[in-house]
Amino acid sequence: MDDLELSYKEANSPFHRMDPFSKTLYVLAVSTTAIFNSSLYVGIALFVLTFSCAAFFSGVSLRAYWKLGKVILPFILILTFVFPFFYANQVSIGSEDIAIRTPIKDLTWAALGFGALLGLRFLAIGFSGLTYAFTTHPSDLVQAFSRRGLDYRLVHAPVLGLVLFPSFLQLARDISTTQRIRDLGADLHPIARKWASLKHLAFSMLLMGLRRGQTQAMALDIRGYGAHKTRTFLRPIPSSLAGRVFGWSCFVLAVAYLVLQLGNLAGHMPWDFGG
Amino acid sequence: MTEPAFVVEDYSFWFKLPSGERRLALDNVSFSVEKGSFVLILGESGSGKSTLALNLVGIYPDYFGGFNEGRVLVNHRTKGLVNRRELDRGERFQTVNMLFQNPEDQIVTLTVEEEIAFALENYLVPPNEIHPRVTRALDQVGLHGFKERSTLKLSGGEKQRVALAAMLAMEPSVLILDEPTSNLDPAGTEEVLDAVRLVRERADITLVIVEHEVDRIFHQVDEVLLVDGQAVHGPESPREFLTKRGMQVRDDMGLWIPQASEVSLELAKRGVSLTRTHLTGEELVEDLGTAGMREPAVPPPERDAAARRLTEAAEPVISVRGVGFSYPTKSDVLSDVDLDIHKGELLAIVGQNGSGKSTLASCLTGLFDPTSGSVTVDGKRTSDYKFADLARRVAYIFQVPEKQFIRKSVYEEMAHGLRALKVPAEEVDRRVEEVLKTVRLDDRKDSSPFLLSHGQKRRLSVACMVISEPEVVILDEPTFGQDWRQAGRLMDYMRRLADAGAAVTFITHDMRLVAEYADRCVAMSDGRIIFEGVPHELFSSPDVLSAAKLKAPPVFDFSKKLLGESALATAELIDRLEARYGRPGAVVQGS
Repeated sequence: MDDLELSYKEANSPFHRMDPFSKTLYVLAVSTTAIFNSSLYVGIALFVLTFSCAAFFSGVSLRAYWKLGKVILPFILILTFVFPFFYANQVSIGSEDIAIRTPIKDLTWAALGFGALLGLRFLAIGFSGLTYAFTTHPSDLVQAFSRRGLDYRLVHAPVLGLVLFPSFLQLARDISTTQRIRDLGADLHPIARKWASLKHLAFSMLLMGLRRGQTQAMALDIRGYGAHKTRTFLRPIPSSLAGRVFGWSCFVLAVAYLVLQLGNLAGHMPWDFGG
Repeated sequence: MTEPAFVVEDYSFWFKLPSGERRLALDNVSFSVEKGSFVLILGESGSGKSTLALNLVGIYPDYFGGFNEGRVLVNHRTKGLVNRRELDRGERFQTVNMLFQNPEDQIVTLTVEEEIAFALENYLVPPNEIHPRVTRALDQVGLHGFKERSTLKLSGGEKQRVALAAMLAMEPSVLILDEPTSNLDPAGTEEVLDAVRLVRERADITLVIVEHEVDRIFHQVDEVLLVDGQAVHGPESPREFLTKRGMQVRDDMGLWIPQASEVSLELAKRGVSLTRTHLTGEELVEDLGTAGMREPAVPPPERDAAARRLTEAAEPVISVRGVGFSYPTKSDVLSDVDLDIHKGELLAIVGQNGSGKSTLASCLTGLFDPTSGSVTVDGKRTSDYKFADLARRVAYIFQVPEKQFIRKSVYEEMAHGLRALKVPAEEVDRRVEEVLKTVRLDDRKDSSPFLLSHGQKRRLSVACMVISEPEVVILDEPTFGQDWRQAGRLMDYMRRLADAGAAVTFITHDMRLVAEYADRCVAMSDGRIIFEGVPHELFSSPDVLSAAKLKAPPVFDFSKKLLGESALATAELIDRLEARYGRPGAVVQGS
């Protein structure tokens, strides 16, 4: 990884002006609604909402979204096209009429709807998550949660992970290269060989990772990391009324929808023993 | 008398082994360093220079274990000279702090400004004070205008300067720099050492540095501390340090010393009386003079001529033709590269980080298939070989030896390659024992490779790759982190391999190594080979040096001033100077 793609992108968009807490409410609202939603219409609405936020209000080009999105796209396509074969009455629209006949199974409109719902669900979660990552400065994130009483080290940990991840990835690559060069496990059965490679990789990564981790811990210690319960922040945290209204509105709507959804589900779901 | 910056009194430090025994690292050490001075810590590889530095900062034993006796007194800005233990964590690290070797280990945020502010925020400095301190620290290291830059997109030298600025922003009284240039290319090294010079000019600070780049730093420091075994000697002035010990510093202790000092001390050893020990080429030129010393132009060194003959006569074992390579995220990392590598030669590949050296090496070893063009080994394309077969012909040795170890013991590590070749067990045993003796690891054959010292690891990493007698050996930074003696032994071993018929190629940033050992060198810039020839020609080509951001070793420049002709190694210069001044008892004074 030459560059860290999953990082903050400087801009002055409505999402950049939102405080991290409101953005967290937005992502939480989208994610929980998407997960518990069984309506294709709501699924489409969520996708449109998150796509619009990403395209028009995040100040980040869709190309940046695509760079990361293309990595998870196969996963989403698998959900969309494979899971209809396992369809078991969990979508609120679509008839039981046969839509497509396949050698494996005849798929109903409801089954296809189920696949589409799954795809839309993860697209919505993906778009909202990336919007959050691209528009939230790590320091703002740490600051926002630190102000709400969370230990700043806990919130800073993912940022450390982001910064340090590429070098650990490089280490893993180098060790794998060594295994190829030195033909590790050449005399073994392919499965045993794979196991030997994994064992060696895990051991070497652990050993070198621990050594490196110790130096990094020293470097953090001498710079006062964790010396006090809180810290000061150089960056003023962004905040906008519109952002707060938007975040809370999403959250309230999500809660309302969930209540409604759970009420509706009671009589229909297979695990509803009372029904 | 000047005030001390810190005082170490009867200080010992040790680790406890699982058996309960003490493993002593520092034994009853006492010394003090004057406020505002610039001190160099010297010692052979693995002598404990970093352990001393970590003890001075207090990371050992207070944060990462170990046991100590004695005191370290530090000069706090308001409290004066106090025992380090009496200061809280913030006061302590704002009095004595440390910059680590690898900038990657220290950078923990995404922009330069945040990185420098990070420690200040942790120590609860109000934001309105942080801004001017960040600006000041950036100015001190010559990075004005870098505030908004992403730390992920900085070069190695820039990263280390940002890490230095982050330390300076804390305004420590004492800053310890632990080999700050060891992970950098020549351009990065130049940047960091210039930044250190700027810091000395602009900040009220005591600097202590552990550094192998002695040619650049020796004459700048005020004092030298020598870590030898568990003892620390000094401090003493660098000239006094060298004069007292003579060539013993290099030959017996195995330390790097400036090339000008090598010449000066060696001449003194051979009976030429000099009025002082010289630390720089300028001093040598000043004392030995240039007027009337010019001799008729001498032919290029015999080594260059021999290398030319070898290149012309020998069949290439590797041929690179029109090779281009692009990563998915970066195009044209290599462009139109043509190169032949011959048996029996030591070839150096040089260039700054990102110039394509490692990618070229990966193409030579078959790790990467070129995007265009071809790489052939013994006339067959690398892509047509089974990878394992190619790896046995072309051995690749990493810069970090640990990445290369795959077995539990030194013996197994060595035997691995031979067993893969189905060599009979008795023969494996014989060859392993033989090579272990050659690389002086026969007493460690049952140890884990990961538990060896740095020098031993390097020797093992080379030995386990060359034991199966590959046709080509490619080494990435072979002398990284090694002292003079270890580096010399390793390169002598490479020379012997080449003389026995192997093609040895090494990637390096160390121009002294290129000058002293390479038969031929290749300079790369922006994915292209911009020079191919003997070292003498490389160092005589200012355009190439500038494009590849390289610098000739000091002896190349000052020998030209002294003799009218450049020498690649100090030995060449010394012989000729001895011939001129070598009358026993002759006194050479300033011109």
